Amino acid sequence: MTTGPVAAPLTLACVCAAVVYTVGAARLRRRGDAWPWRRDCVFAAGCAAVVWGLAGPVPGGPFTAHTGRHLLTAMAGPALLAVARPLTLVLRLLPPGRPRRGLLRVAHSPAAGGLLFPPVAAAVDVGGLWLLYRTDLWEAAHRHALLGGLLELHMLLAGLLFAMAVCRLDPVRGRCGLPLRAVTLLAAGAAHAVLAKSLYLSGPPGTAFAAADLRAGAQLMYYGGDAVEVFLALVLAVQWYAATGRRRARQAARDAVPAGAR
Amino acid sequence: MSTSDPLAGTAAARHPEPRRSLLVCALVGAAVMAGVDEIVFHQLLHWHHFYDRSTSGVALVSDGLLHTAELLALVAGLFLFADLRRRGALVPGHAWSGAFLGAGVFQVFDGIVDHKVLRVHQVRYGVDVTPYDWAWNLAGLALLVIGGVLLARARRAGGRRPS
Repeated sequence: MTTGPVAAPLTLACVCAAVVYTVGAARLRRRGDAWPWRRDCVFAAGCAAVVWGLAGPVPGGPFTAHTGRHLLTAMAGPALLAVARPLTLVLRLLPPGRPRRGLLRVAHSPAAGGLLFPPVAAAVDVGGLWLLYRTDLWEAAHRHALLGGLLELHMLLAGLLFAMAVCRLDPVRGRCGLPLRAVTLLAAGAAHAVLAKSLYLSGPPGTAFAAADLRAGAQLMYYGGDAVEVFLALVLAVQWYAATGRRRARQAARDAVPAGAR
Repeated sequence: MSTSDPLAGTAAARHPEPRRSLLVCALVGAAVMAGVDEIVFHQLLHWHHFYDRSTSGVALVSDGLLHTAELLALVAGLFLFADLRRRGALVPGHAWSGAFLGAGVFQVFDGIVDHKVLRVHQVRYGVDVTPYDWAWNLAGLALLVIGGVLLARARRAGGRRPS
């Protein structure tokens, strides 16, 4: 297993988060809130993906296995977690008081707004990946276990930041239109695809992976990235479809009222 | 068209939009053609190579952008199509013509810009590629011609229809 020192605490945190989410959602439903079951399932699936990537068995050579783990903990898992609207759930559960006010203050702070500005979130996420694979960072992370662990944590959080910034399902600071989010997804996806193709030819500096392993890993990164990207694109498309339908229904309702009756 | 459409009967609904039908289906057609290229030639036949050693940096970036754009176009196109149907604005003749035109534009673009100008990868390796290039681009041209004929027919039919 190639997992670092943060794997065990992170796994524990994921299990706790899944339990808290499920119990919290059940409490919301008991008091009469509409909280679809599919969100519970999506959140549990996200936690499972992260845990699998951190501690589960992953097939393939060393580089392919690393890519698979990265795909699970830093891309698929965070995307699923973001879609389950964890912040909305917590804000609904917390009673009015200091913790809720504090959380809202953080969510609405300029720093959070800046980080959740889609291009910034994309730069943090994909930029970090470029640094990892195209500088000596990879080698350093494999020599110093703590650095490797911190990187793993960074990748998970950056993935979550990116998914939240693109999907905008939770109440955070600043509104952001669909075009900017879609273009950010396009740019991030392209940067990811280019990095994957370049890894096909040459691995991270200071490493000597077998060519077959490197190629399998690069292709897994390329097509796995596609899958997560399509998932995020579907989230955006559903948002647009629903919002357009609501707007038209409102317009139709207004048009149905005779002009004199307004 | 669904009969449970909440907008049915309102003044805004059932207003055909031929231009939008054409553009949306062109987007879907191009994305589907790109998907066929990826699945048939990359994955099933293994004719195209994932990475060609003669690929330049510019070609790599353009390929990454195009590949991502194809995926997003497929999702966006299908939802725009669903929206057209929901409003009863879809014009089938223009939609079919758009699908063929989009597929043809993608095929010719892929055949000329990606394969020949940027040299991202070739149609097939280890053989004389010339007949493959001709077949590739003529297939694209055929799609464009079909799309053009369908568009002309759709326009004639649209002109005859009392509005």
